[in-house]
Amino acid sequence: PQNSFTEDQKHALSILEVASKHLPKPMDSLKIRYNGPGGPAPTPDYYPATAPNCNTIEFFQRLSTETLFFIFYFLQGTKAQYYAAKALKTKSWRFHTMFMMWFQRHEEPKTITDDFEQGTYVYFDFERWMQRKKEGFTFEYKYLEDKDLN
Amino acid sequence: RAPGSGPMGMMYSGITQAREFDDPPGLYEKTEYLLREWVTMYHSPKAGKDSTNAFSLFVHQMNLQGILKTDELITRFFRLSTEMCVDLSYRVLIDQTIKSPTVTRAKCFHTLDAYVRLIALLVKHSGDNNNTVTKVNLLNKVLGIVTGVLLQDQELRGVEFQQLPYHRIFIMLFLELSAPESVLEAISPQILTAFCNTLYYLRPQKAPGFAYAWLELVSHRVFLGRVLALSPAQKGWTMYAQLLVSLFKFLAPFLRNVELAAPIQLLYKGTLRVLLVLLHDFPEFLCDYHYGFCDVIAPNCIQMRNLILSAFPRNMRLPDPFTPNLKVDLLPEITQAPRILANFNTLIQPASFKKDLDSYIKTRSPVTFLSELRTSLQVSSEPGMRYNIPLINALVLYVGTQAIAYIQNKGNTPNMSTITHSSHMDIFQNLAVDSDTEGRYLFLNAIANQLRYPNSHTHYFSCTLLYLFAEANTEAIQEQITRVLLERLIVNRPHPWGLLITFIELIKNQNFKFWNHEFVRCAPEIEKLFESVARSCMHPKPS
Repeated sequence: PQNSFTEDQKHALSILEVASKHLPKPMDSLKIRYNGPGGPAPTPDYYPATAPNCNTIEFFQRLSTETLFFIFYFLQGTKAQYYAAKALKTKSWRFHTMFMMWFQRHEEPKTITDDFEQGTYVYFDFERWMQRKKEGFTFEYKYLEDKDLN
Repeated sequence: RAPGSGPMGMMYSGITQAREFDDPPGLYEKTEYLLREWVTMYHSPKAGKDSTNAFSLFVHQMNLQGILKTDELITRFFRLSTEMCVDLSYRVLIDQTIKSPTVTRAKCFHTLDAYVRLIALLVKHSGDNNNTVTKVNLLNKVLGIVTGVLLQDQELRGVEFQQLPYHRIFIMLFLELSAPESVLEAISPQILTAFCNTLYYLRPQKAPGFAYAWLELVSHRVFLGRVLALSPAQKGWTMYAQLLVSLFKFLAPFLRNVELAAPIQLLYKGTLRVLLVLLHDFPEFLCDYHYGFCDVIAPNCIQMRNLILSAFPRNMRLPDPFTPNLKVDLLPEITQAPRILANFNTLIQPASFKKDLDSYIKTRSPVTFLSELRTSLQVSSEPGMRYNIPLINALVLYVGTQAIAYIQNKGNTPNMSTITHSSHMDIFQNLAVDSDTEGRYLFLNAIANQLRYPNSHTHYFSCTLLYLFAEANTEAIQEQITRVLLERLIVNRPHPWGLLITFIELIKNQNFKFWNHEFVRCAPEIEKLFESVARSCMHPKPS
């Protein structure tokens, strides 16, 4: 019976009642995601909420290159971005820190020196959202992102 | 009373100073200007990684405005900034033109996150690099200020109070200060202590409007992981246990009611989830603190208590309780005492009662001690509140541990025959026979709380409960023992190992003549229930 509560308990309950109307949301404890989706919305039960084992590098390696690019550019500062970058590296993509784009050799470079390599490359243009080819491109090694991601 | 200096003193003074409003003229405007500047700088692409460039420019501006001249001014700057961030959040939250909660939040976080980064940077860069005291003091001061502003806000706004800005400030600041940087790693125990103290200050009892955000903070994976992994000497465990106890205490009067209000149900569900995480990831923590937790959890919260009692050390392998002919006495663990991180001896009050108790245990006299026992445990005549539950719990565990020591001193191990005919068993039998239904229920619960993983307490109390059943002079006692065991077993899993062992022994061992009792057949569903338990643990089926 509610009337057995003390005044303090009744007061706490009324405050709690109001607080429960504006509960914390998951995004309250997360960094802001500028590109991310909005808050949670009710979805039917038959939509799976998460994929099993999706937090492993193996899972990311099975994703298409374009998916990895999407994760890399749209989920910045997350574990998923880290895994996407790792997976892209295993697929021989290299990140150019000035253009902020991923490059892959299209053929063996025509020239390789200590400071750069030159040849034909495929790169992912995040503005047009497509892969493009560039001939006679000079990849300066000082722009090569070569941090060990382990 | 607040200690004068040191981190705690800084926090207290921060809380007090959150209520000072006699600011020097112009400070409000200066703070507003600086905060606005900082928010812009923080979001500018030129801010640099972790806002380093922006920060050095900003410190210069703070100096120009004379804010960094005295501690007093810095404190006021933080108080005003916190209030401004909170006020801004309120304006956004009540803005009817914004329909999407995502947009509302983005607007609030725009300022709150910038402010948090500023706090983190000021903490990191206060004093020189090796001066940890200054950094820790500043952190405690700021946390104290935010705490003070929160408490005051709740007091003034009442039901209009919003937890969002404070929740964001606390969690983001905690995450910022948990970054893998040597400056922060050097003070990581002090950071954790500061946050634990803050959360303790803001426990649901003190700040019910903050309770949901509070539980989010307490159960946040980074906070939980860091505080429970904190060495040395598992200081973090004690602090975390204190937070959980405050949560259980808050919930207890509400959970005692059969009809739960929706907001309580929500908080209860969250609490169960935290306990499940702890049971899975930190079972040793639940093992060590089970006594203190059971002391504050309402007696009718069976599942919540089962979660705590089911915890066992990860290096232990529990034999399946349904194994036929399982010889519990032969398990090597059964002689080892569990760790109890509660000073239950001192809970036996008043001192004169403890003196009489010790004297009775030693001399088995006078008999009047036993006849007065029931009165000593009673505190009121109101039904449901008659007994001092913590005292019953302490008495049961104390007498039990004394009995184990006594038996072991004689070179024996506790079993069905060595536990009998002693001052200890006199006390237990007296409590079983002489108590009313309520008192006996609490007494039997206190025993059942010790039926956990294989250890000397589990074994002793298992034998004790079975002995009390066998020697009962009325069927009411036997029915109540069965009830206490059964009600802990009919709830969903997990079930403590010792509880299953005891119950199986009771229905399996012919000596107890369990199946001959009236109450076993009192209702068809109860009878079916017993038979299903029996089927799963013994062969052949009982007649």
